[in-house]
Amino acid sequence: MIATTLITYAQAIVLGLLQGVSELFPISSLGHSVIVPKLLGWDIHQNDPYFLSFLVATHLATAIVLFLFFLRDWVRIVKGLGRSLRDRGIAPDDTDAKLGWLLVVGTIPAGILGLLLEHKLRSVFASPESAAIFLALNGVLLYGAELLRRRATQTETDDDARIARQVGFPQSFAVGAAQALALVPGFSRSGATMAGGLLVGLSNRDAARFAFLLATPIIGAAAILKLPELFGHQGDGVRGQALAGSLCSAVTAYFAVRFLLRFFESNRLTPFAIYCLAAGVTCAIVIPFL
Amino acid sequence: MNTRSPIVVGLAVLVGVVLVALAIVYWVEPASSLPSFMPGHQAGSAHHHVKHGIASFLVGAAVLVFAWFQTGKKHAV
Repeated sequence: MIATTLITYAQAIVLGLLQGVSELFPISSLGHSVIVPKLLGWDIHQNDPYFLSFLVATHLATAIVLFLFFLRDWVRIVKGLGRSLRDRGIAPDDTDAKLGWLLVVGTIPAGILGLLLEHKLRSVFASPESAAIFLALNGVLLYGAELLRRRATQTETDDDARIARQVGFPQSFAVGAAQALALVPGFSRSGATMAGGLLVGLSNRDAARFAFLLATPIIGAAAILKLPELFGHQGDGVRGQALAGSLCSAVTAYFAVRFLLRFFESNRLTPFAIYCLAAGVTCAIVIPFL
Repeated sequence: MNTRSPIVVGLAVLVGVVLVALAIVYWVEPASSLPSFMPGHQAGSAHHHVKHGIASFLVGAAVLVFAWFQTGKKHAV
């Protein structure tokens, strides 16, 4: 029962609250889960098996919240996928089917790269110092995306119709592959997808919506794949903390997605870019002295 | 994108089936029993490459879906 002394309920609650926000805000949840324990002087390390089990639970909670938040959309999307399979093609006016296949095409590269590279990248870049540097680079990426964004004329009034019209399958594949950046602690999955969305001509709001839809299967699948670790011996002594952290993560994830969809109606990625750059540079300077 | 060649469909089905079959091999056989040309082969290892299997299955399924769409009516998307 060594794990109970390694992660307390207070730490679990703080990390859970942080996970729910930072997974959906384009500021890298993995980077924050590496940097924050170091800043607070906690003896928690990214690659400790019990901590990975804890993260699995909080990620699963975030994925469930995202799925439930967009439940009506997912029902329409799955029906659209079914229609297109039945008809062996996507009808030009079938927005749900097009969006569904865009999500499938975007999820495949992210899933494969995640499956094959996750362990190696996490092992190599697990230090708080490197996470801080990559967090700063994440800020540069977000700011660059705002500078280089394409501005397309939008005629559709429906969110999904706009996304389906603006994003092609090659673009969706590229945006999905960009999610692999998030395997490196410091880079943000939602940041990479939102940046990709802006580059193909989506508005900030549509890019955020596409990012959240794209994130749900990946975060959920990754968590489900590792769920046996939580219920195996690696989860011994940490399941209670994982449950507490997951509940906190679910609450903040819900408010984060609500806030961000409203925020991006009239705002840009720039504030998050500034935060990542400032926090990353500051942490990169401070952490070596801790 | 209006060309739908039977060769492309046949090739896609073949690749899809092979990839799904490889996925099953990854799930069933330990790393030591995998053919040496397959990524993940490791002499003496009892480890099952579950993730390699999932990756192979996903790509295989995607290729099969592509083949399925190629046999349908033409839509301008």
